[in-house]
Amino acid sequence: MTDLAMHLTTEEIELWAQGLLPATRALHLADCSLCRVEAERERKVILELVQLPQFAPRAGFADRVMAQVQVFTL
Amino acid sequence: MAWAKQGHDAAFRELVRRYERPLFSLLYRMVRDRALAEDLAQETFIKVLNGIKSYRPEFKFSSWIFKIANNAAIDHLRRKSIDTLSLDGAPNAETSEQMRATQLQVGDRAESPLAEVENRELGTAIERAIARLRPEYRSCILLRHVEGFSYEEIAATLELPLGTVKTYIHRARNELRGYLEERRE
Repeated sequence: MTDLAMHLTTEEIELWAQGLLPATRALHLADCSLCRVEAERERKVILELVQLPQFAPRAGFADRVMAQVQVFTL
Repeated sequence: MAWAKQGHDAAFRELVRRYERPLFSLLYRMVRDRALAEDLAQETFIKVLNGIKSYRPEFKFSSWIFKIANNAAIDHLRRKSIDTLSLDGAPNAETSEQMRATQLQVGDRAESPLAEVENRELGTAIERAIARLRPEYRSCILLRHVEGFSYEEIAATLELPLGTVKTYIHRARNELRGYLEERRE
């Protein structure tokens, strides 16, 4: 089976969703509706995940940690 | 890291500054309770900083600290058996009555301002879908797509075979897709 005919693996779909799949493999999507549908569905989820915000603990977190850490010097 | 190993206050603070948000975010999404996530994050930093001399530089520092944090979250979930609950009830619930009885009620703690914050922060469709994943899947998917870890880094952090990590991430994304599509229908 040639590169173009082989279905994309899960990892390749992930790479494609991130825009990192080599063109030689990405071309397969133009001819394979099965992979195209699968890749589009994956892309939606991955996009939602990578856009998740980071949360911060309450102010003074570092001070509360440092109050219980042994700071030493050699 | 060399300064931190010598216990310099500024170096320790820099490590806290660098990792507090990613670590807290992971823990918060794992346990879905702000106060508890903060306690676990604090415990993690104290353990790491007090044990900094045992840090082995052949491992990435991020893998080490996330491993300790993730273990703390998983231990907590096991202890409290929260992992058997999902937003839709325990997985072994067979009747609608059992499902209702074991359901996590997001609005249950709505009286407190903190619970309101939690509902706002973790109430989106994707956050609710993540909450329905098994804790092991949740850790993998968060490390992969939120923290940007490679598969190899996740395997080292969670001490799992590389193949298992790939399987977990693939299954987690499938489940997430299912939950999100189910919601749209």
